[in-house]
Amino acid sequence: MSAEELGPLPAGRHGYSREQVAHHQRERLIAGLAAAVAEKGYAATTLSDIVRHAKVSRRVFYANFERKEECFLAAFEVVAEHLRELVAAAAGEAERWPAQTIAALRAALAFLAAEPDLARLCLLESRAAGPAATVRFAEAVAEAAPPLARGRAERPTGARLPASTEDSTLGSLVSLAQRKVAVGEAERLEDLLPDCVELVLLPYLGPAEAARLAREAA
Amino acid sequence: MGRGGAAADQRRRILEATAELIAGQGYQETTMEQIVRRARVGYKTFYKHFPDREAAFLALLDAATAHTVERVEGAYEREEGPWPDRVGAALGALFEDVAAHPAAARCVLVEATAAGNEAAAKHEAALKRLAKLLRPGRELNPRREKLPQTLEETLSGGVVWVLGQRLMAGEAAKLRALLPETLEFLLRPYVGEEEAAREAGETAEAISA
Repeated sequence: MSAEELGPLPAGRHGYSREQVAHHQRERLIAGLAAAVAEKGYAATTLSDIVRHAKVSRRVFYANFERKEECFLAAFEVVAEHLRELVAAAAGEAERWPAQTIAALRAALAFLAAEPDLARLCLLESRAAGPAATVRFAEAVAEAAPPLARGRAERPTGARLPASTEDSTLGSLVSLAQRKVAVGEAERLEDLLPDCVELVLLPYLGPAEAARLAREAA
Repeated sequence: MGRGGAAADQRRRILEATAELIAGQGYQETTMEQIVRRARVGYKTFYKHFPDREAAFLALLDAATAHTVERVEGAYEREEGPWPDRVGAALGALFEDVAAHPAAARCVLVEATAAGNEAAAKHEAALKRLAKLLRPGRELNPRREKLPQTLEETLSGGVVWVLGQRLMAGEAAKLRALLPETLEFLLRPYVGEEEAAREAGETAEAISA
C-alpha cells in the first residue's frame, strides 16, 4: 500500500466500499498530504503539494480543513486508528498477557516496516507538525499504557513497580523506533522485535523470562 | 559594563528569548520578530550575533547541552561509590538541571527533534552522552554483551521521553519525586530488580531527608 492508497483506511468501520471511500474528498486530501509529506517532509509541504497529490482544488481543501496542520492531524488519526485495530486484532489472537504483548509489538512493527512513509509521518513528522500534533502523538502512545500495565498482575512483585514504569517503557520503544526511522531504516523495524520484547517484558516477567521470550520471538 | 560585556549580555538575552518562545510554542511557530521583541534587541543586534533564527536555536542547543552534560558527567565522575551510585548522582544532576532550566531543557529534549537535521543531531548527541554513562553497567550483569545492543540508547530515550512529557505538562517542579523510579528503570536491566529497587529506595529516602 502506498501513501496514495491510504484513503480508504480502514475499510470496515464506516461500511463504505473501498471505491466509495476513495472518491471521498476528505480521504483524498488525507492521502494527498501523506504523499506530499513522504516526498518532502511536513515543514516543506505546501497546500499546493497537498491538493496536487489529492487531485482536488484548493476550495475543496478549505471546505474540509482550515490549514495544513489540521489535515496532518486527520492523517495521523487515520494511521493511528488503523494501527490500533491491527494491534488489537493481533493481541486478540493470544490467550495470555505475554503472548498478547508480543503479538501486539510484532503487528505494530510489521505495519510500520511495511509502510515506511506512514512510519515517518507518525513517528517523526508529528514532531514537526506543531504543538497539537506533538500532544496528539503523546496521547496515542499513552493509549498503550493500560494494556501494558496489565502485566503487573503476572507476578506478585508487579504491584511494587513504580507508577511511571509504563511511561518510561513506552518512551523507550518510541525512541528506539524513531531512531531507526530517522536513519532511513524504517523497512527494518522488525529487526528490533527481540530487543523490544525483552525491554517491554523485563519489568513484568523478570530478566530470565524476558530474555527467553525475546530469543523465542527472534 | 564594557563593550564585550554588553555584547555577551545581548547574546544571552537572545538565547533566553529563543528558549522561552520555542519551548512555549514550538520551533516552527517562532519568528525572528518575536525573538528580537522578547530579547529587547534590534534586528541589527540580532544579526550581529546570528545569521538567522535557526543559528540562534542551534547556539542555544549547544549552550544548554554543554551546561547540562558538564553537570551530569561531573556528578558521575565525582561520585566515588559503585556504578549504581554514580548513575544515581548523574541522574540526580540531570533532573536538577532540567527543573532549574525547563525552557532550555524542553528545547533540547523535545523541540530539537522537530527543527531540522542539525538540531535533531544535537539532540541525538546529547542522548548518546547519557547512554555512555550506562554502558559500564554491563560489567555487573552476567549476560554483559548479550544484553540487547540497543539497551543504553533505548533506556536514555525512555528517560528523555519521560522528562519531555513532564515538561510539556508544565510539571518541571515535580520532577524530583520522579527521580527514584527513573533510577530504578535505568538500573534494572543491569543490576537486577531487587538491587534496582533498593537503590531507588535509598534515593527516595535521601530526597525526603
